[in-house]
Amino acid sequence: MTNKTQILTVEIIDNGGRTFTLKEVCERGNCHAEFVIKLVTYGILVPVEDVPEAREWQFDADALNRLQKALRLQRDLKLNLPGLAVSLDLLDELHEMRREVARLNQRVHQLMGD
Amino acid sequence: MDFKDYYAVLGVSESATPEEIKKAYRKLARKHHPDVSKEADASDRFKDVGEAYEVLKDPEKRAEYDQLRKYGARADGSFQPPPGWQSASGFGGGGYTEADARQFSDFFEEIFGGGRRGGFGGGGFHQSMRMRGEDVHARLALFLEEALTGCDKQVSFTVREVDDHGRLVTRPKTLKVKIPAGMRDGQHLRLKGQGAPGIGGGAPGDLFLEVELAPHPHFTVEGGDVLVTLPIAPWEAALGATVTVPTVSGKVNVKVPKGSTSGRKLRLKGKGFPGKHPGDQIVILQVAMPEQHSAEANELYEKLAELEKNFNPRSKLHL
Repeated sequence: MTNKTQILTVEIIDNGGRTFTLKEVCERGNCHAEFVIKLVTYGILVPVEDVPEAREWQFDADALNRLQKALRLQRDLKLNLPGLAVSLDLLDELHEMRREVARLNQRVHQLMGD
Repeated sequence: MDFKDYYAVLGVSESATPEEIKKAYRKLARKHHPDVSKEADASDRFKDVGEAYEVLKDPEKRAEYDQLRKYGARADGSFQPPPGWQSASGFGGGGYTEADARQFSDFFEEIFGGGRRGGFGGGGFHQSMRMRGEDVHARLALFLEEALTGCDKQVSFTVREVDDHGRLVTRPKTLKVKIPAGMRDGQHLRLKGQGAPGIGGGAPGDLFLEVELAPHPHFTVEGGDVLVTLPIAPWEAALGATVTVPTVSGKVNVKVPKGSTSGRKLRLKGKGFPGKHPGDQIVILQVAMPEQHSAEANELYEKLAELEKNFNPRSKLHL
């Protein structure tokens, strides 16, 4: 049940904060460890620290989001792993560039005294 | 129930070949995919495209749909199938793999139904199945002031859950969330158990929020640093001056060095985004001119023009 009146307190997860193990990532993505390992091999997911042993991998919240996106794109658009890697990188770049354009527009307005 | 024109959804003619239909579907699926498109209705458009393809790619379903299409929609666009209509192809027995058929429209269910009602085909969600609810990832837009001081924020998002009939439905959810002070752009917040509910007693998913600062009219935030453009008078630039500068944590006095030019940057250490490792404020000077000058000021400018006649402000343009 949604309770609109209750104010919920958040947990900040950040650099050096809460991370997720390979097992947790698989549970959350409802996928096999082999798939996550392949995503790491292709550089689609990057563990917080580069350790060779998959059991010791830790992932941040960004990686969880990226895994969900990868699963959706693979399911809906039938992308293979190299395709996923390219698409996710381009989507990230697109997002960053859109934000940069918004920031620069704002700077132009400030300089023009608008 | 509204009639759905699947040909129009895919932008193909009634006589389109299977190859043309596949091509149109692939193009539109890429265009409207919610992870790709920025349009607000991308999710609905993507669903429509998937549903249209599900019907038109299958010769049997397409023939049935064509028959119904001839039977036609009512003048007001609403639709009822002919009395006693029953799909021969059905869809309970599989054959839908491209898209998530559990989310198709009432129109689809009325025409090809059976699958959703019966607990979703062969591999659907049975109550005995135990599954963790999906995590939801969303962006949380904050004004700079809200991020600095913290705030109570209403957050709306959608969760996918299985209803009593085994149908996958999308439900809007709204929460009131306490955002702590000092949130920076790109930081993540988690609300445990506020994602999609679990299935068959499984744990609910979490809600993850990524902070995204909205552009501010005066301040630009870059990581922990805050940029501000500060207009100064030409004489302040030439002679130096102590001027008041706004920062995110209040006003401070700053000494503008003698002989400053437009674009010169002054760094105010630790006056940027507050926190454990506070950023700096970067003040970018911009020489501003009065809109009007007195006759006396004009005389002084004339004198200045004479004295500084060797100055070429356009030297970088080789003029």
